Amino acid sequence: MALIGFSLSDRNKLTWPEQFVKDTTGWVQTLVSRPAHFVVGFVDNVKALKDTYEENKELKAKLEENAQLKYQVQGLKKDVQALQETLEEKESLSDYTLMKATVIRRNPSQWTELVTINRGENDGVEKNMAVITSAGLIGKIKSVAPNTATVQLLSSEDPANRISAFIQPKDEEENKDKTDVFGIIADYDKETKQLIMTWEEVPNGLKVEKGQLVTTSGMGGVFPKDLAIGTVEKVEPDENGLQKKVFIKPAADFYDIEHVMVVDREALSPEEDEQ
Amino acid sequence: MRKVLIGCLISFMFILESVFLELLPTDLFGGNLIFVPYFLLITILFFSVYGNRNVGVIYGFVFGLLFDIVYTEILGIYFFAFPFIIYIFNKLMKIFHSNIVVVSVMCLLAVSALEIIVYQVIKVINLTTIDFANFLHLRLFPSLGLNLIFIVIVAYPYKRLFEKYAAELKE
Repeated sequence: MALIGFSLSDRNKLTWPEQFVKDTTGWVQTLVSRPAHFVVGFVDNVKALKDTYEENKELKAKLEENAQLKYQVQGLKKDVQALQETLEEKESLSDYTLMKATVIRRNPSQWTELVTINRGENDGVEKNMAVITSAGLIGKIKSVAPNTATVQLLSSEDPANRISAFIQPKDEEENKDKTDVFGIIADYDKETKQLIMTWEEVPNGLKVEKGQLVTTSGMGGVFPKDLAIGTVEKVEPDENGLQKKVFIKPAADFYDIEHVMVVDREALSPEEDEQ
Repeated sequence: MRKVLIGCLISFMFILESVFLELLPTDLFGGNLIFVPYFLLITILFFSVYGNRNVGVIYGFVFGLLFDIVYTEILGIYFFAFPFIIYIFNKLMKIFHSNIVVVSVMCLLAVSALEIIVYQVIKVINLTTIDFANFLHLRLFPSLGLNLIFIVIVAYPYKRLFEKYAAELKE
């Protein structure tokens, strides 16, 4: 009982025996999980060979689009730089660097959705950093040992797992004068596998509809701006009618995770512990 | 020699639970069922029946603590639950004949008991909002199915291995 209380208390660091055990088991598990992944990966590859032709066609079409996008992005980047220089502002909320990591284990009891990655304090990972896959945000760092770190996924039902997010307007041309809708993602619905965001409806004509994109707001302190979270699935008033519940279909798959990236926000914030 | 082998086997099961989960296809049966592997507990339960009860309870303590540190990060739940379940299981097995089918069924009961105990604790410390009915059909029943398959595969080899260990110990 005392132990449960101790581990639930809001502690910032793991004790050293915990760190040691985590690192050692992490090392052994890397040894086991790598070959296992290799074998399963091989079987998947053989399956994937069948669809290669179709996929190739699609990819070629996309490649052409991509080339165009690349030029556009380059142009935009230059614009942003020029603007930042004129404003004498070096860092923005959306500046960050990425660090690649591999998942080495997952909590089998699945009550708290935790995965462990093979990067730790020695690689510069810190508590509360955001973790993403190529599809979108999956969670944040919960605890750090010297060579491993534990990630709490968004699908965890921990009430302390909150993320400040906003919903972007659907049609940019039409809604130019409308600002984004801010809210906090605090819950996860296990049955439908959707995130739940509460949002206080203010009578200024903002509307949330199905299909709108949801991203991080960068306001919480450690998360950078504009990491993809998902798309709006439906909107409901909550039990007491004061707030709206927005159901969000996550962009990333929380179950099939192997390679992830840890986001290191460059703009240093003094209130790092606020998250 | 067999002692080391059994230690290795149990450690391997400890790791296998996590690896198994990573490799489990995600869209199985509609995708919202939760499958919880209890390979570690089942291995220790078989060991405590056919091998040595006291050593089994000690394994329960050690791996319960490891489980808490490494996987759940909430110290105390499995550290308490594993040895408790193993001890009660062995008390009950004294009443029944230790037939392999009886042991297997009792193993499933032990898994359910562990699931329900942990569910209650998690509910009390407010880490889940899932209600009991949903817990039963989203989590408990799928997990029992998965662990039944595991028991069917390993029951006979485990029985032979642990009985040989017990015989070696007596000599």
